[in-house]
Amino acid sequence: MSDCRRFEKMTRRGDPQRWRELEAHAQTCAECRQRLDMWREIDQAAPTLKKTWESPDLWQRIESAIVRSSPSEMPAPAPARPRFAWLPLAAAAALFLVAMIGLQVFRPSLGERELLTARSYKDPLLTENALSDVERSEQRYVAAIDRLSRLAQPKLKEPATPLLVSYREKLLLLDGAIADLRTQLDQNRFNTHLRRELLAMYQEKQRTLEQVVGEVKS
Amino acid sequence: MRLAPESENWLCVFERERRDRLAGSDRAQVSDSEAGLLEACRRGEVSAFERLYQTHGSRMKSLAMNLLGNRSDAEDAVQETFLKIYRAASTFRGGAKLSTWTYRVLVNTCYDLLRRRARRTEAPEAGAPREDPGAARVPEADHPLRLDLEASLASLDPKRRSAFLLFEVEGFSHREVGDILGVPEGKSRTLLFEAKRELQRLLFRRAAAATEARA
Repeated sequence: MSDCRRFEKMTRRGDPQRWRELEAHAQTCAECRQRLDMWREIDQAAPTLKKTWESPDLWQRIESAIVRSSPSEMPAPAPARPRFAWLPLAAAAALFLVAMIGLQVFRPSLGERELLTARSYKDPLLTENALSDVERSEQRYVAAIDRLSRLAQPKLKEPATPLLVSYREKLLLLDGAIADLRTQLDQNRFNTHLRRELLAMYQEKQRTLEQVVGEVKS
Repeated sequence: MRLAPESENWLCVFERERRDRLAGSDRAQVSDSEAGLLEACRRGEVSAFERLYQTHGSRMKSLAMNLLGNRSDAEDAVQETFLKIYRAASTFRGGAKLSTWTYRVLVNTCYDLLRRRARRTEAPEAGAPREDPGAARVPEADHPLRLDLEASLASLDPKRRSAFLLFEVEGFSHREVGDILGVPEGKSRTLLFEAKRELQRLLFRRAAAATEARA
């Protein structure tokens, strides 16, 4: 199939005006006509993917699982707001104000700023190299955690104590958070904040796995 | 009465706009009852979770079934989701709607289950296995494209697949899809567009393969 770009441009926003343009264009462009037809087919077929079935015992299962939850996991009522809850906020605002004034007074001169920008612009390879190092270390770290995970796996698969069940739940949550962070990082590899968050998650996973292995031994 | 394809397409566009508008206006009406429900959930009242199940259970099962591919796993995912929200309700800050948060937990739970399943089998899965496609009822007359669409959906990346299922199949607005997937509303539109473009490509490929096989 050839690659007429108009279809993509016109369908991106779902704007009715654009649909009209696309329909007019499709009358003269066989490829777009074919794609438009398929687009409509997908729209029409999508609702048939909805599934319904009776699950007469599902709520009972959920209810008994909730009731079986240990008392320590029962939701606690939200703590009452302390009387002077606004104080830390006011202190943070004051601190921010002082920092902004300081920045205005002591900010680098225009010449220095230009130099800094030029240096980082001219030397992007440094950042790329540093990032490659970080990614290599991360791979080694993940491999080590995976080995630890394999050690803990037998006990986690069939947890013998409520504590092991909790560890398993925690590890699942951590895996979910790690997967989310990795997806975000794929879109922005240079985001150091996300990298730090990811590292913290890995460290927490490592600690938890060590506790599981310790629990296994004890 | 059968409408001309153009009119059907227009209806799709208007229906979506109406859905987005309604999502905005309904929010105010729903928020009161949701706030009450959330408070009851925070207090750990099981009846509140039962109300949540009665309102959203069916849609949750459908979404989970389309993500996981079989009824038993879908029901497990719904159960696990309720357990998670029961445990975390007291810490929920209310930045999002309770229902949106519930679906967000469900989607994450489904992907956790898929990851666990992939780890168990030690073989990367392209998506969910279609174990019992005929076991659940479909709401409308079956569409000739349904099975191909299901199979193609399984090859999409998770976010695109979720965006497609939430918007096109489950009828959420883009704002709600954005809240559930943790992305801005505009990103939800982009994900849906990318999902449909990818589906289009896969469906064309399947059609070509079928023609070749026949020839």
